[in-house]
Amino acid sequence: MIRIRGLTAHRGKFLLGPVDLDLDDGGYLIVLGPSGAGKTVLLEVCLGLESPSGGEVAMNGVDMTDLPPERRRIAYLPQDLALFPHLSVRDNILFGARLQRQDPDAIRDRLRELVALLDLDGILDRPSIRTLSGGEKQRVALARALLPSPRVLFLDEPFSALDATIKRQLQIKLRQINREMGVTILHVTHDQEEAFLLGERIAVMIAGKLHQIGHRDDIYYRPASIAVARFLQNQNIFEMQVEDGGDNGTLHLAGPISLTTGSRSGIRVGDRVAAVIRSEEVVIIRPNRPIGNELRQNLFDGRIVDILGLGGNHILTVEISDGVRLNAELPNCAFRDLGYAVGDPIRIALRSRSLWILPWPREMP
Amino acid sequence: MAVIRTRDLPFRLALTLPLAGLSGYFLLLFGSQYLFFSAAAFLRQLALPEIQAAIILSLTSATCSALLAVVIAVPCAYLLARHEFQGKRLLDTFLDLPVVLTPIALGTLILMAWNNPAGRLLESVGISLPFTVAGVIAAQFTVVSAIALRLLKATFEQVDPRCEQVARTLGCTAAGSFRLVTLPLAGRGIMAAFILTWARAVGEFGATVMVAGTVRGDTATLPSSIYMAMSVADLPRAVTLISLLLLISLAVLFAVRLALGRRS
Repeated sequence: MIRIRGLTAHRGKFLLGPVDLDLDDGGYLIVLGPSGAGKTVLLEVCLGLESPSGGEVAMNGVDMTDLPPERRRIAYLPQDLALFPHLSVRDNILFGARLQRQDPDAIRDRLRELVALLDLDGILDRPSIRTLSGGEKQRVALARALLPSPRVLFLDEPFSALDATIKRQLQIKLRQINREMGVTILHVTHDQEEAFLLGERIAVMIAGKLHQIGHRDDIYYRPASIAVARFLQNQNIFEMQVEDGGDNGTLHLAGPISLTTGSRSGIRVGDRVAAVIRSEEVVIIRPNRPIGNELRQNLFDGRIVDILGLGGNHILTVEISDGVRLNAELPNCAFRDLGYAVGDPIRIALRSRSLWILPWPREMP
Repeated sequence: MAVIRTRDLPFRLALTLPLAGLSGYFLLLFGSQYLFFSAAAFLRQLALPEIQAAIILSLTSATCSALLAVVIAVPCAYLLARHEFQGKRLLDTFLDLPVVLTPIALGTLILMAWNNPAGRLLESVGISLPFTVAGVIAAQFTVVSAIALRLLKATFEQVDPRCEQVARTLGCTAAGSFRLVTLPLAGRGIMAAFILTWARAVGEFGATVMVAGTVRGDTATLPSSIYMAMSVADLPRAVTLISLLLLISLAVLFAVRLALGRRS
């Protein structure tokens, strides 16, 4: 549906791109990246609000790089919402549809549909948007964007200012909008939880460049670069060297610890690599329990040096050899069962299939 | 009631005493003329055709020049507030010059400019500035347009450009988003800019006198009439004119406060 090729844009010294990205009809694509990665610039250039320095943006095969924003028909929900403070709630919502001279009956039906979907009943007749709460403003802005029946919706960090409960409700609404109304969505966010909750496909953007585009599981378990792995939370990254290729297609890695893992294409003996494992993939071996074959390879005895409670989960920082630490995450019920405290000995295993091996970039120290 | 700690007292006094002093000084200033004020003289002066002419000219010329200044300053200010271009800072400073330059100098420059070919061309089609009402308006416009530009630029900078961008994505052209979003949001600011510009134009003296002189019943405005009255020591007339100017200014400033107060 939307095809972006070689798109570049300058903002002062900041350079976006070149970006190549495809947004499929009916898809939900998340662009995930830290603040200042250039996500908003990407949206603004695609919307026609800012000029690109190069490249093209096409919709359904038609180049729209030089088209003004009003002719692109892409709905936009900016981070600060930008509701019109001089208009009533209803006039805010109807702004686009009236402007585009859509059929009044169709507008009425669509409004009814959106009022039901976004629970706008109690606030539709408010004379001003100033009295709305954060979540209500969010829903009004969403209704304003969706009323003219756009085929594509761009969202820029839409829920960053909301509390967790309202945020989750609206995230579920967004999924409904995508699946039931068939609106194609491009959503940029720095919130990883939101990205993995909503995005079927995720594009990771760091410092103006797209580092990886793929299915959410690929991004989650198989980051394409160390930059992506470092950006994603709860990753343990070890710098290693491939010592030798073992039997049955295994690799032995040497570094601060020794690891055995399955072979990877393109990785050879002597290569500098990063071994990456998510903290929730670290297996905690209960004392006096038999150990399965799969867990025998990378078994470490260590000591708990820190415990971080996150509400539903706990993160244990474990020192497995002098100065080598890793994080292991476990749900509260397991944490309570095990009764761990700082200073306790602990045995952990890094399953070969949970380890992800990346080439270590040359320029990285 | 807030408790004032003894430690804070010197600071509080440092704030309060200057305020009390300044207010007292202004009160003294505005009140002093009432030693010379008599209602009978005030009404007698008001009935004079030349005074009425001065009042009418002051109000109409200030309205014309303020309207003209705001109408021209709106697009200029919007462009300066929204767009970055090379030499913008220099242009911005250049446009501030009339605010700094004394009105007498501006008046002199208008007369000089009138002597160049462009001025002579306008003269040949019947537009004349020296000693005419058009000259009064031109002088006031020259003094107040830069002020209007400053005020309006600040107004447009306060309008969230994101609102304009969203309007564009909803189907507005650039002009449409300006008309439907920017102008309504800047409305009160534009109104306030007009009123303040108008007030400045009503009080304008230096440039007006340089360009249009002060011909009784013709180009004499309220400020130039005050000067003329004082130059012949006609105190009752001066007091009447000053009182009128004070009343008008008070009404205008109060209207601005009301307009801006409602905004918050």
